[in-house]
Amino acid sequence: MNPSSLPDFDLHAYADGQLAPERMAAVEATLAKEPALSARVAEIRSQNAALRDALDPLLAEPLPARLLAAAAPPVAGSGTARRWLMPAFAAAATLVLGIGIGWYGRGTVLEDAGTPTTFARQAALTHALYAADARRPVEVWANEEKSLATWLTRRLGHPMYVPDLNGLGFSLVGGRLVAGNEKPTGLYMYENADKQRLTLQIRKDTKHIGAPASGNVDTAFRYAVENGVGVFYWIDNDCGYALSGNLDRGQLLTIARVVYGQLAAADAAVPARSN
Amino acid sequence: MSADAALPHPDLVAALPRLRRYARVLTGDATRADDLVQDTLARAWEKRRLWQAGTDLRAWLFTVMHNVHINQLALARRDAANVSLDDEGEGAAWQIPVRANQLERVELMELVQQMGRLPAEQREVLLLAAVEEMRYEEIAALLEIPIGTVMSRLSRARDKLKRLVGEPAPQLKVVKMSPGVSS
Repeated sequence: MNPSSLPDFDLHAYADGQLAPERMAAVEATLAKEPALSARVAEIRSQNAALRDALDPLLAEPLPARLLAAAAPPVAGSGTARRWLMPAFAAAATLVLGIGIGWYGRGTVLEDAGTPTTFARQAALTHALYAADARRPVEVWANEEKSLATWLTRRLGHPMYVPDLNGLGFSLVGGRLVAGNEKPTGLYMYENADKQRLTLQIRKDTKHIGAPASGNVDTAFRYAVENGVGVFYWIDNDCGYALSGNLDRGQLLTIARVVYGQLAAADAAVPARSN
Repeated sequence: MSADAALPHPDLVAALPRLRRYARVLTGDATRADDLVQDTLARAWEKRRLWQAGTDLRAWLFTVMHNVHINQLALARRDAANVSLDDEGEGAAWQIPVRANQLERVELMELVQQMGRLPAEQREVLLLAAVEEMRYEEIAALLEIPIGTVMSRLSRARDKLKRLVGEPAPQLKVVKMSPGVSS
């Protein structure tokens, strides 16, 4: 391909930044002597940059529900499936156990005194309270989505991202801070064309992060029905999430997966390239 | 506490955007790309014991996807032998949207459009080297080909793409445009 003394391999490796250090001096000396080769290197680099500029935006596309479902362990043989990638799982599992014990333990104690405190039950009650509110279901409306996220981020002390459920027919109504819990809880409300409402509640609970690892705890969506409100709830990193609505279990699960996927993607924060 | 539904695996979710992009470059079509990713995830769960803990999960998933794609193409060719469907069909369906500001957009659209005219095996190597910035030896291992083949595909892909983009072809877009499709 090139008439010079520089092998193709070196030319491309140099342009791609993967030339072995010991070849560097020789290649740079050749390039200095042959402007045509330097020009070719520059061309390759600008082609690379243009390809990235063109194709990087694909990484930010919302993940479809069917792929998120496919990213969950298949039902058959889930015993071994769960053990796959166990190192990556360990941290999350620890939290499930820790927060699980925290919540459920506290729930039992307080329930004896007649106060509903399990996360799912609280979420369902909060959902019923605000979803039925025609005038003021949220404190901050969707038109101020950005300041909503900033405000909740500050109040909860955790980066808050607002999932986009438009692809599933639910648009953001707005959000609020739910008072009255031991830990502040952020709430986002969504609504579809039939005026059905969904709420996503997020609570940070860092109390039990130091819990010992058990290695045998499921990382999973949990489902509960409280007073006719379906709730999917789960733990991820140091937050508890609850998605509530009067939808059937399958619909709610699909949405829960999309929410989970978007939050995971936001967490992974697809690296933005500077070149 | 019983599991009501398994959570999507966080490491797989994190790999999804890149898998989808790779699939998009292989197939040139959003729906077929997601079909391929879905088949790839199913295959990955089936074959999960073959993944070596501690190695790059993305690279392993890319290998799985590459193989799933190759197998599907081989099956399609066998099925299509009687119907006389050839590879021409692939390039014609190629469509990847470009989001960029107005200044860059035309140029990048042209680049991506022309990328679709490269043979699939060159397109694949170009994506992995130029966009994913993988090392040549990783690409060779991933595609199970010698490193020399990686280099010749990469070199040919770059030269051809440069030539195609440089071609004065004002009518190209009109000719390529199928009825009812607006950009």
